[in-house]
Amino acid sequence: MIARLAWRSIWRNRRRTLITIISIGFGLACTVFFIALGEGVYAQFIDQVVRMQAGHITMENPSYRHGPAVDLWLEAPASLRSQIEKLPEVERTKLIILGQGIARSASGDVSVTLMGIEPSVELLTSPLVRHLAEGRYLDDQDGPWVVIGSELAKRLKLGVGKKMVITTNDAAGNLVDELCRVRGIFKTGSVEIDGYFIQATIGFARRLFDLPEEGATQLGVVLTVPEAQEAVLQKIRIMVAGQDIAVLPWQEVIPEIASYIKLDRGSNLIFQAILVFLILFTIFNTILMSVLERQREFAVLLALGTKPLLLKLQILMESVYLGLIGCGLGLAVGGLAAWAVQAWGIDLRSLLEEGFTISGFAVSTKMHARVTIGLLLGTGGLVFAATLILSLIPMHRSTRLSIVDQLR
Amino acid sequence: MANIVSLQKVTKDYGEGDALTHALRGVDLMVEAGEFTAMAGPSGSGKSTLLNIIGGLDRPTAGRVEVDGREINTLSKTELSLLRRDRIGFIFQSYNLIPVLTALENAEYVLMLQGIPTAERRERVRQVLKEVGLEGLENRYPRQLSGGQQQRVAIARAIVSEPALVLADEPTANVDSETGKGLLDLMRRLNEKKGVTFFFSTHEEAVMKRARRLLQIRDGVIFNDESNKDGNPAHC
Repeated sequence: MIARLAWRSIWRNRRRTLITIISIGFGLACTVFFIALGEGVYAQFIDQVVRMQAGHITMENPSYRHGPAVDLWLEAPASLRSQIEKLPEVERTKLIILGQGIARSASGDVSVTLMGIEPSVELLTSPLVRHLAEGRYLDDQDGPWVVIGSELAKRLKLGVGKKMVITTNDAAGNLVDELCRVRGIFKTGSVEIDGYFIQATIGFARRLFDLPEEGATQLGVVLTVPEAQEAVLQKIRIMVAGQDIAVLPWQEVIPEIASYIKLDRGSNLIFQAILVFLILFTIFNTILMSVLERQREFAVLLALGTKPLLLKLQILMESVYLGLIGCGLGLAVGGLAAWAVQAWGIDLRSLLEEGFTISGFAVSTKMHARVTIGLLLGTGGLVFAATLILSLIPMHRSTRLSIVDQLR
Repeated sequence: MANIVSLQKVTKDYGEGDALTHALRGVDLMVEAGEFTAMAGPSGSGKSTLLNIIGGLDRPTAGRVEVDGREINTLSKTELSLLRRDRIGFIFQSYNLIPVLTALENAEYVLMLQGIPTAERRERVRQVLKEVGLEGLENRYPRQLSGGQQQRVAIARAIVSEPALVLADEPTANVDSETGKGLLDLMRRLNEKKGVTFFFSTHEEAVMKRARRLLQIRDGVIFNDESNKDGNPAHC
């Protein structure tokens, strides 16, 4: 009967209850949607960046981070790669040689980052392939061929099939240059990548930098399940224990991206916290008002012999009903909206024609949310638990009354 | 007959200093099981205070109060709740039914508190509602009932758990005289037929005449205590 009494009590002021439920629902829906959208954009962006770079996990010479140079290479035997690729969370491993140089043509010269890659692996893992605007992508048998960014092509006045020279220092410190031709031109929308980035086959890069067979500056690991990063990291560290190899998460390889996301997530959290606080204030106000205006009724119940604990239970059940309906509504609306954006995405190309970049990496203008059971249960559970905690004060007030004064 | 209520030198003061008010001044009173007692007096005479103290809703400033053999002053808040739940029924002047419960649910509330199984309490409540003339109105909410019908529900709620004592604070004050007469008939019938002890306050002459015992109180003192063997419906 207490459950029935609580249920009917919340509906005695139908308008107020509906406003409260809608407030909880709307606030929670907004919270779920924006967290899901934020997490989706982060995940999408991280995925693009790490796939274009050296994967979710990077293995390299322990000194490389302190002074990146091609002489700090590591030997990545096929046996190690195959051992890593056997891990269920691993999609693929990729070898990379990263070096600096100068790209020259008859029209000028530009400092560039040259990345030697395995085209067959990049085709399956890197988003750069999708941004090819002219020509075609490299293949494993290509010799002195490169793909360059559209800005670099414009600056050096290069087109597909045109010649250019790359000058650099090899691993031994000798000044070397190589003639090569443009196989394709990509356009990512990032000034840094389109203007100063070149990809060549790893064979060409080894020859240019004078590195041995199986030598590379990085061995990257691309994961199918990014959440498994820490577990895979530990497994790989065990595999290479005793060898002079650093195994790093992407957050240490591209710290500027990790910091940006941390900062952005923090500011979003403050926004969400303010929203949740406003919802909770509404709930608190409703429950308190509903208790204060029923003091006489509570006095009657106490006079009839209701134990104070039972009366408190009734108030708690009213909060449970409000919380359950409000959270259910919020999770349904927010979850469905986030799921729709996860499935179909929001295309902001019309608003962001030029696109935008973070730390030189282009962010996709088609945003996808990322809604998980954990997010729904976490946010819903938090608001529901807070609703119950907030009802403690009204609960306390409900039995602190003077029966005689209220019945007078 | 055993005493249901026993008061010895009970006083109740409110406020302090210049605002000190003596609501009860050394009241001595015995009420036996099966009595049908009215307490009359003007407003502010101490009627409600005395009822509240007997009902365990308020504590006396001094003196000894025993209800159904238990000394009120020594009971904790929870023990007082249990005493009210199991041994005392209340009828209030303005009915005080729970608006979101039906007549049947209002009447069965105390039985629910006592942990009586649903089927049994439904059966008992239906029987009592029939006795108070509310058969067929069990599923109506208080707002769908007249003042007299609401007070009948309140009476049903007070007696359904078969308490040792029913306290009623001016039970006919908010209804018209005809309805009040009907309510009083009902209370008398329950007193005679079921042996329920009624102790109620009133300031209506007609109600006083119906009581078997009439107490008169003024300025916190019971100054008259008389038996009215003829108190019966014919006199109203």
